[in-house]
Amino acid sequence: MNWVEFTLDAAKAVFVVAVLSLGIGGLLTWADRRQGAMIQDRIGPNRAVLWLPKRLAQALALGPALLVAAGMVAVALVSRSLAGEARTERAFVFGHLAVLLVWLTGLSVSRVVAARGVRSSFDAFVAWIGDSRRFFFAGLVAHGLVALPGMTLRGTAVGHHLREFAFGGAPFVFALVAVFGAVYAALAMERADKVGLRIAGLLHPAADGLKTLFKEDFVPPNADRFLHGLAPIVTFFPALVLLAVVPFGDTLCFAPNAAGVLDWASLLEPLASVPAGGTCEVGVRLQVVDLNIGLLYVFALSGTGIVGAALAGWSSDNKYSLLGGLRAASQMVSYEVTLGLTVVGALMIYGTPRFGEMVAWQATHAWGIFTQPLAAILFFTAAIAESKRIPFDLPEGESEIVAGYFTEYSGMKFTMFFFSEYVAVATIGVLMTTVFFGGWHVPFLDRDGFRVAIGESVVAQQALSHVVVVLLGVVAFLGKVILLCMLQLTIRWTLPRLRYDHLMRLGWRLLLPASLVNILLTGLVLLAVEGAGEQILAALAVLVDLSMAALAVGALGAGVALVSYWLRPVRRTRMPRTSAVRLAERLGGTRTARMGA
Amino acid sequence: MEEKNERRTEAKGGAAGLGPRKVVGTPVRRPERTIAVESYVPEVARGVGITLAHFLRNTKEYVSGQRPDPVLESVGEGINTLSYPEQRRPYPERFRGLHRLTRRADGSPRCVACLCCSTACPAQCIYIEPGEYPVGDGRRGYERFPKRFVIDEVRCVFCGLCVEACPCDAIRMDTGLHAPPYDSRDQFLFEKELLMSFPGRDGSYQTENPRHEPGDPTHPGIDRKRHQ
Repeated sequence: MNWVEFTLDAAKAVFVVAVLSLGIGGLLTWADRRQGAMIQDRIGPNRAVLWLPKRLAQALALGPALLVAAGMVAVALVSRSLAGEARTERAFVFGHLAVLLVWLTGLSVSRVVAARGVRSSFDAFVAWIGDSRRFFFAGLVAHGLVALPGMTLRGTAVGHHLREFAFGGAPFVFALVAVFGAVYAALAMERADKVGLRIAGLLHPAADGLKTLFKEDFVPPNADRFLHGLAPIVTFFPALVLLAVVPFGDTLCFAPNAAGVLDWASLLEPLASVPAGGTCEVGVRLQVVDLNIGLLYVFALSGTGIVGAALAGWSSDNKYSLLGGLRAASQMVSYEVTLGLTVVGALMIYGTPRFGEMVAWQATHAWGIFTQPLAAILFFTAAIAESKRIPFDLPEGESEIVAGYFTEYSGMKFTMFFFSEYVAVATIGVLMTTVFFGGWHVPFLDRDGFRVAIGESVVAQQALSHVVVVLLGVVAFLGKVILLCMLQLTIRWTLPRLRYDHLMRLGWRLLLPASLVNILLTGLVLLAVEGAGEQILAALAVLVDLSMAALAVGALGAGVALVSYWLRPVRRTRMPRTSAVRLAERLGGTRTARMGA
Repeated sequence: MEEKNERRTEAKGGAAGLGPRKVVGTPVRRPERTIAVESYVPEVARGVGITLAHFLRNTKEYVSGQRPDPVLESVGEGINTLSYPEQRRPYPERFRGLHRLTRRADGSPRCVACLCCSTACPAQCIYIEPGEYPVGDGRRGYERFPKRFVIDEVRCVFCGLCVEACPCDAIRMDTGLHAPPYDSRDQFLFEKELLMSFPGRDGSYQTENPRHEPGDPTHPGIDRKRHQ
């Protein structure tokens, strides 16, 4: 290992801890607080605010935008000499980026104008366009228009001109709009003397963390001080290191130097393109370590979580803590069995416990959710039980045993238990994504670009450079993880707690046999597929492509529906004008509270 | 009829303790549980869908600032409830809130310590300690001033009789405030200084009624200097 690899590994470890653990943990804390606020009809987490002086806020708006604009122009100038397929691909990316920025800026400006009223002639123009959803739909159409010539006009003179137009114009449109948006935002701040940074309440989890750092750390008089202090560490540590073996993106390939190893210079020139089935000689795995026991490492470490909970219960000198610790231990041991057995089917299909190879198999064949649907549901259920969260939160059942094994914990020690639960949620999301939802794989995205094909017939094709493909993979991975974490949170908000005997019965008498049956079925299907003829295999491949197509269309449709729902204004009729309403009208209404404003 | 009798005897037999007690009454028909309900998974999905829809809508209206005004526009779609500490329904104009003592132009209380309000008060929650102006003060001999003016806001029944009784427009209940949630009773004993520190709902500490000081040409009563 040389210094380059060491630095890269450290950077990857920091990324995993910062984004996958702390980032998603913070996001989930925010969502839980938002949900609590929803039930009580409060505004929720928006109290944490960073007041910035006006000039600093304006600089923060302008600086990055200027940097991005300059970077875009620089990239455009550097890639001026590209030719052929690479030039087409670059024009495609530039065009999409420009369109994305234009409609995003238009949308934001339109929302701002709708909220605070028209102040300038430009505002009047935006207000004249009207509903902010129009920007979004126009942007979608424009994206389609950018994508279309690449498929249909390839090789024609018109296509050539369009490509040159996008190649030359799009970066400058991008830069101009970026600068314009930043200037507009800076001018909008001109009237205030200070600007509050709230990010829709996302600063609140950070404030919570800071707050608990300074809270009293209470230890019961007769508690075992050493074990009492050790338990949160034992719980928190595995949660943090567990994600080290999970790949969050495809291998990033670099041009090999003379010695065939990675050095600082080669980091600057990633390969322009990697063939669809190709591998690279010098690559950086987007994974902290590639252990050959991958999945087993995860199970081994998550098993130590039991020790933490049991220790906390034992050392607290409190009957509720002890009961909670016992419950936690027995529950986690029970569900660990199911958890291990459900992935046996997946292991049989993938033939490896390495996460990277699992994802590679899913990318070339089919996602695990299609090959192992039963196992996916069983795994999800068992994993929620393993993380001791509602509906399986018997170890901390408030109605029975106060707060269970962490009753006697306060301050940062409590936060460590609390946060390791959120990290456990993130871990479940990551494992589900990697084992059952194709990891960083995006449907129809090969290593050399998009290739939408059903069976042998290609519908659409667009080459993309290597870095873009890898970036798309990382974004897709994070998106899948966040979606699965949100699903877990929603389950937690929806279901009531199980009774203890029901919990044990579910684990031993339902999930365990079902996972054994799943192994049997998987074996039968594997044998059947091995003995199947060419035609059946081809039909299966078409089926996989169709399912992927359905998935892609569904995801795109859901995304569009979500955004347009988010932008839809709320329409209300007026209320009868009582004296209180007249008074409220004179005072400017009661709607003073706005999150993030 | 026969069936009823039979049931009664059954119940008696049970009460007598002979054998296990029999249950009386027609059996309740349980709702049929389909496989979907039994397997729990589709029902979980349905519940999750409902929760998620509520969460999305609520978060959308808060975060994106689309929340309609629950007082001005409250029929139709959107969240209809006030979230209290952040949003408040303004009280009606004639709402009787915490008392305030109005001030003269020079900032002293208008109150002349005539004790009309404490006399009128049915709850006897007003305590006034009158004081004489010092010798040489222009007001000495015409009116007194409250050395102490205390209102027990817990004892007050907010009837407004003190405001009615006041001949000087010195006490008002137009602050639009209600008693804050203190944690002990003595904190509700509002002294003169505190009562004078509340503005009315229009933000002013005075009233529109003009005040005629002794010595002013507009003074309506007997001016001893002029009538000597």
